[in-house]
Amino acid sequence: MSFWQASRRVFDLSLGEMLWSRRTIFMALVVGGPVLLAVIVKVVELFGMSALRVNGQRVAGFGVFGVMIWMLFLRFIVPVLGVFYGTALMADEVEDKTITYLFTRPIPRGAVLVGKYLAYLACTGLVVLPSVMIVYFLLVPPAAIAGSFVALVTDLGLLGLGLAVYGAVFAFVGAYFKRPLVIGLLFAFGWEQVVLALPGYLKQFTIAFYLQSLVPHAMPSDGVASILQGMFRESPPIGVALAWLLAYLVVFLYMATRVVERKEYVLEQ
Amino acid sequence: MSNKTRYFVAVTGAILVIGLGTGIVASYMGLPVSVFTSAAGPEELEYVPADAAVVAYANVRDVMNSQLRQRFREMEPGQDQKNEFEEKTGLNFEQDIETVVAAVLPKGNLASKPQDAFLILARGRFQAARLEALALEHGATVTDYQGKRLITHHDADRNDTADDDMAVGFVEADLIAFGSANTVRAAIDARRDNRNVVANIDMMRLVNELDNANAWAVGRFDAIAGQSGLPTEIASQMPAITWFSAAGHINGGISGVLKAETKDEASAQNLRDVLKGLLALAKMQAGNQPGMQQLADSLILSGDGKNVALSFQVPTEVFDVLEGLAKGRKAVGAIQ
Repeated sequence: MSFWQASRRVFDLSLGEMLWSRRTIFMALVVGGPVLLAVIVKVVELFGMSALRVNGQRVAGFGVFGVMIWMLFLRFIVPVLGVFYGTALMADEVEDKTITYLFTRPIPRGAVLVGKYLAYLACTGLVVLPSVMIVYFLLVPPAAIAGSFVALVTDLGLLGLGLAVYGAVFAFVGAYFKRPLVIGLLFAFGWEQVVLALPGYLKQFTIAFYLQSLVPHAMPSDGVASILQGMFRESPPIGVALAWLLAYLVVFLYMATRVVERKEYVLEQ
Repeated sequence: MSNKTRYFVAVTGAILVIGLGTGIVASYMGLPVSVFTSAAGPEELEYVPADAAVVAYANVRDVMNSQLRQRFREMEPGQDQKNEFEEKTGLNFEQDIETVVAAVLPKGNLASKPQDAFLILARGRFQAARLEALALEHGATVTDYQGKRLITHHDADRNDTADDDMAVGFVEADLIAFGSANTVRAAIDARRDNRNVVANIDMMRLVNELDNANAWAVGRFDAIAGQSGLPTEIASQMPAITWFSAAGHINGGISGVLKAETKDEASAQNLRDVLKGLLALAKMQAGNQPGMQQLADSLILSGDGKNVALSFQVPTEVFDVLEGLAKGRKAVGAIQ
């Protein structure tokens, strides 16, 4: 069986497992939050009030959607799903002691990781992207759809790219380290948050730095952290940001595959 | 893949496809505001032709009942003229008019023939028969247009054609349209053919952004600036604003926000720079006068990209100062 045929078989097997696991309840809660928030904003607006104000000015429709993409999806949901799913791709099999069954099959070991990674992408993409779509149609008035549709498509692409890159990085972390979840959380909510708020070149070693520069919405300036980040913000050109993200994706996915192919997983008795 | 998984993939995929499909249709063909939700703004907008350059609205009832209006009521001129008008028409502006919508239509030359460009829609209680009789007494004619009563008046002193007659149309039981005969007919047609400003996506986007305002105006700045007959020297110095909106809430004080959308980001930055300078000057001029200082402090400039916004709040203290000045003048007048 070729590498890609094997990956496809693992993908088929893993997608159902991922979708109907306990982790999906967590994902539904995380992704359902913004939808619930959008419903509340819509109800508040139906009563003639404004849900969000910045400097005394009403932020309506697409503005609220932009804030949600910034603050909820890109800064929280995408990294958190990347950490929880990405690190678990191999770690779960090791923990459940079922990795032996996969490795004794006549398929390349790397195909197991690639198949699982593609299942992760499909699983998170099929939950996150429709929820963004629902939030968009709840918040953006029909009159503004034509003007903001390109930005929505950019957002969807960006979220897909974010899930792919974070997934690749954390797939490597999950395959290589013994306690991947802790390391993943430290990277996503420690290293990235701190380094982004500091001046200097270190932010180039984060994923959020490149993702942020591609967001089509203006950065909200109502939080101290955002103001700090805005002060030190250097946006790389779109081409450079895309190239770095793709490089992260390819390099970490390749490294994760190499680790799975070479590492001796010792199952604890 | 189990059936359960297949269903899940199909449902989530369908949400994405429907969403993207709707967006593509909206981008290429436009999506009327009436789809999914009721249109923003007052119902009278259905009578405003789709090509209107400016639309303004005032909730007269709100403004008349506001604390600000009550405060300045005693300074108004005598009631004699008002009573005479009420006796003749049966119309009391304070009590009978609810809302007014005004529109500027980019037809002809705004500077030389302004009467052709304006349409006013007033909602309230009108005694149609009494107004009709009064109009006939003064030489007006009454006709029917698309089942609506239309009173037209031709000014004999002017050499205008019949097209330039001024007209009042009773378009609904509690709504009248006022303007040139052509404009009033266009308003009736706009509602009948459903080709009105509600279908103007850009205009309705601005109307939709208005919040808690009892008076507002939105429109295309370049369309009216181009027809206002301004000298070229002045017109060339004006900022490259495409759309503007102004919204205010009147009660004890006045609060509001002025927004402008420029043709490019550089123009917006220029406009922000100019306004920043003016704000600094205003703050300096406000000096130690408490009311004016508060007014100057309430001016907040914001916006990014092609948008510029200036919010303000005229506090009660400013009106205290104005009221004091007005009372002082009255007292001096009485002594003299």
